[in-house]
Amino acid sequence: MKYVKHIMIGIKRLTVLGKIGLGVVLMVLFLAVFSDWLALHPYSIPSGDALEAPGAGHWLGTDDLGIDIWAQICFGARISILVGFGTALLAGIGGSIIGIFSGYSGGLTDKLVMRLTDLVIVLPDLPMMIVLGAFFGPSVRNIIIVLALFSWTIPTRIVRSKVLSVKQEKYVEAAMSYGAGFWHLTLRHFLPNILPLVMVSVIRLTSRAIVAEASLAFLGLGDPISKSWGLILNHAINFKGIYFTDYWKWWVVSPITAIMLLVTAIAFISRDMERIINTKA
Amino acid sequence: MEHSIIRVENLSVCYHSEKRRTRAVNKVSFNLDRGSSLGIIGESGSGKTSIALAMMGLLKKVATVDGQVYYEDKELNSLAEKERNLYRWGKIAIVFQNSLDVLNPVLTVHEQILECLLRHTVLTGPAADEKVVQLLELVGLKAGWNMHYPHQLSGGMRQRVLLAMALSCDPEILIVDEPTTALDAMAKDEIVRLLVKLHREKKFALLVISHEMQIISRLASRVMVMYGGHIVEEGLTKDVLKNPLHTYTRGLIQSSPAINPYRDLWGIPGEAEQNNPEGCPFYDRCNQKILECQAKLPLLEYISLERRVACNRGGITTLLTGRELHKSFVFKGKTIKACDNCDLTIRSGEVVVLIGESGSGKTTLASILAGVSTPDEGEVLFEGEKIKGNSATSRKNGLQIVFQDPFTATNEHLSIAQVVKEPLDILKLGTKDEKLNNVRQALQDVQLPSDDEFINKKCHCLSGGQRQRVALARSLVMEPKLLIADEISSMLDPSTQANVLRLLKGLQNTRGFAMLFITHDLALARKIADRVYVMYNGKIIEHGSAVEVFDSPKESYTNKLVDNLL
Amino acid sequence: MNKSSSILKKASEYLLTFLVILTLNFFIPRLMPGDPFIFLSSSEGQVTITYSEEQIAKYKAYYGLDKPMIVQYTSYLANLLQGNIGYSIYYNNSVLSVIGKRVIWTVSIVLAAIFISCLIGTVLGSLSAWYRNGTFDKVLYSFIIAISEIPAFLIGIMFLFILAAKLGWFPLSGGIKTFANYSNSVEKITDILHHAFLPVLTLSIVRLGEFYLLSRNSMIAVLTKDYMRTARAKGLHNKRIIFRHALKNALLPIVTRVFLSLGAVFSGAILVENVFNYPGVGRLMREAVMVRDYVLIQGIFLFVAVTVLTMNLLADIIYRRLDPRVN
Repeated sequence: MKYVKHIMIGIKRLTVLGKIGLGVVLMVLFLAVFSDWLALHPYSIPSGDALEAPGAGHWLGTDDLGIDIWAQICFGARISILVGFGTALLAGIGGSIIGIFSGYSGGLTDKLVMRLTDLVIVLPDLPMMIVLGAFFGPSVRNIIIVLALFSWTIPTRIVRSKVLSVKQEKYVEAAMSYGAGFWHLTLRHFLPNILPLVMVSVIRLTSRAIVAEASLAFLGLGDPISKSWGLILNHAINFKGIYFTDYWKWWVVSPITAIMLLVTAIAFISRDMERIINTKA
Repeated sequence: MEHSIIRVENLSVCYHSEKRRTRAVNKVSFNLDRGSSLGIIGESGSGKTSIALAMMGLLKKVATVDGQVYYEDKELNSLAEKERNLYRWGKIAIVFQNSLDVLNPVLTVHEQILECLLRHTVLTGPAADEKVVQLLELVGLKAGWNMHYPHQLSGGMRQRVLLAMALSCDPEILIVDEPTTALDAMAKDEIVRLLVKLHREKKFALLVISHEMQIISRLASRVMVMYGGHIVEEGLTKDVLKNPLHTYTRGLIQSSPAINPYRDLWGIPGEAEQNNPEGCPFYDRCNQKILECQAKLPLLEYISLERRVACNRGGITTLLTGRELHKSFVFKGKTIKACDNCDLTIRSGEVVVLIGESGSGKTTLASILAGVSTPDEGEVLFEGEKIKGNSATSRKNGLQIVFQDPFTATNEHLSIAQVVKEPLDILKLGTKDEKLNNVRQALQDVQLPSDDEFINKKCHCLSGGQRQRVALARSLVMEPKLLIADEISSMLDPSTQANVLRLLKGLQNTRGFAMLFITHDLALARKIADRVYVMYNGKIIEHGSAVEVFDSPKESYTNKLVDNLL
Repeated sequence: MNKSSSILKKASEYLLTFLVILTLNFFIPRLMPGDPFIFLSSSEGQVTITYSEEQIAKYKAYYGLDKPMIVQYTSYLANLLQGNIGYSIYYNNSVLSVIGKRVIWTVSIVLAAIFISCLIGTVLGSLSAWYRNGTFDKVLYSFIIAISEIPAFLIGIMFLFILAAKLGWFPLSGGIKTFANYSNSVEKITDILHHAFLPVLTLSIVRLGEFYLLSRNSMIAVLTKDYMRTARAKGLHNKRIIFRHALKNALLPIVTRVFLSLGAVFSGAILVENVFNYPGVGRLMREAVMVRDYVLIQGIFLFVAVTVLTMNLLADIIYRRLDPRVN
């Protein structure tokens, strides 16, 4: 119950844009979870004529194979949410743990971790993802793992530098003089300081991962079995004559709108979070 | 007046932030003559740097600046930026407070000095380069530092570069803001020497801003003391140091360990926060405030030829004056002059020590001053009124005396409450509850318990130190402006003596009463004295500030006393 | 002396990083799950390549999978040292020359985009800082923040549909007209610029936010520094204060960011090239994946990684040159 109250207070501090953003994200989450009920048609087999305009049967029309686009959008939300939150949680939690450990132990461990983050930061991420995707197969699970491999450095660096600065504080010195160990320091002193930072960076990672997955899928290099928003776009753009007909009005606009809505909504939330954290500090 | 190079009139600076406006400088006026020197001293936040920035015209964006700054006869604040730029550095240069960022980190020392020359002098090319080297040598830096970047220099070297930069265009006026912050003692001394030398050679007018009295005293012949954006005192540095006339100036000087080598340090109680914009800025912390001060802003007025003070009471007031006091006793047919033409003044809030061996007449003098005995000749004035009998002791906010022997000073058969309450009972001051509260408060002040069990104890249960503190509490309930303490610690053991003395000095500092401390113990006197009177054979043979008397005694007797101490 | 030795240290760090990348590149095909050469795409409408027995044998021989790992590794490194980064089976040509044919297209749009976004971003950022918290600053700030959230390929697609397909101002795809006969070189250059316009515009818009925010922050920080007050006190001309004292400090992080952003710009270029069917390395990479030309994919990755690393090293060196505080 305490947490519910905390969350309610947190929501109250958001701006109007932040609340709208939160609403949109919750809506997409709803789509993703209940897509089986919300999508009236199957998302992978034809349910109508090819290239039907939006209407009563097919709310957002159909594609060249006669597959319902609304159904594709609903199931695409699943992929986006899965990839977004999956990557963010994996990289956020993993990266934070590495960051705490690296900042806490210092010395050689810290140096090694920092060299490793340097390496990952230098590597161009999209080409590397393409290479890994090409060799290991572009399943959703692999995409999440690869994205996480490229994202953990962000929380790691933030958390590490915060831990380093907290370690300088006198209260940590005092606690250590009483014999406090790693767990005590982490739970009592580090976590309260880094949690807000980790939260912001998790939100940003979510958005980054969603964009990356959409980009890969758009290139046709994503998971070919998962109908993600990027893949809808990929099909649409590769349809001959898309530029010269009116089909783009539903076939291209729908996935673009979906991606933009979700990404900007998350951006609004993360800006608000940053503002709240900065004013608190 | 006609040879002033810069004249500041009614300068006010007001900073605006979203929440409030802060007046940093309030109607400040002063002149600076060609080749003269002036110091501005004050705590951080007193507005002294704002004056410098306003004189340079560097505050325009962030604050409103009112008033005029005249260079010769040209008013600078009304000039456009372009015209003003011609006065900046060429005529008025400033050495900013030293920090790593005060010099541009990506430009060499050479370029940062050179650009001043190119802008304000006719020098160009190799001649200008040569001049840069000369300037560096002038401030004691080798030419090799020329091509270095600021971060490669030490703090002292950066200060020298700043100085060379400021002097590059031979300014008529040099403003130096906190020239020695962040420097160690050696570097500090070198910079001050350098400044003194350069001032003598270059003949610019020097405006020194600092919070350290000893820096000002070495660099500036005149000083202005700032508090809360106001100038509270102005005068010749020597005089101000020796005889401060504003309570704030005195507090500032007493806080300086360099000026007070012997005495314990006592800061000014309270925080520098001004609550009443209409009244005196120092009201909350002043020890001689009167009702008027809360509402009336004092103006800076001349009180002697070279001295101006902004105080509604005309500076530190004189509490007690003894004039030409004579007293003799006849003992076995012989006349003994216990007091022979003694003059003595005590000003509000100061600790005066009357020092002398036993039999020198100091106790007699004390009893005359307190009105306990009447002088044969002469008079004693307390706050301007002549003391007759107990006229000064039998009232609140008057004069109180604490005696040497705690055992005879308090009646051992009375309870502690009765003893402390006695003056209130006699004078019928307050109700029963009020009196009891006063008693408890006084006992707490002298660090004795104030519970019922303790205050109902009889005095004979107490030790000497405790009895002395009870006697002290009895005086304190009368909230005296002057406390005469006659050898109060001589009968106590050393540890108790130290405790009682610290207690007394602490009370004096927070309450702000004046004290006449009578002792034969020179070492003790040095710990607490602002001013000293030396008494010998019924005469006052020497008096002056504590440092004067202890460092360079004029009389051979005092000399002997000081020598014996070592 | 000190300066050059620290650059040497940095360079050796980069060399180590480079070695790690090479090793990674070596192990990726060897760590593939199952047999990579019979991996099939099951997606509908995709280019599907099935390798014949003969091709698989060829690949296995190429990678030398029958030899011990250490022998494979050393011969791999030896090949690299000779500049041999592989042979593309699909294009039947050396990887280096396949890339070489495409690289000029990518490099031009990447450089043009960095130049434009950096220039405009820095100017706008500095103006925003100068007028900070004014209407101009607030409007520009929100606008650029909003733009920089949109993914690169979406901006590209929108331009493609609106400016190219609907309005017909720009060609829909390619880097140059096919089968065109140009009467003179001016015509040819104009055509190339015409084709490059949308890709460059898209990439520039994507990068604009970064440079804008960076220069705005950096300028705001510089404007409040003590040395700016010192410069004003010296009565210097405004021009000198702004260009010599403020800009020299504020530009430091921007200059290095130009080089550091190359990796990100290249990732953007892959997407943008595929949106506009632009004949650069980015499209080549997608093609290579589609036809499962593993050697080519690795070659491109290696090429990109080396370029990005070199630029990072360059950024380090330039920063040392510009900022005297770094020893």
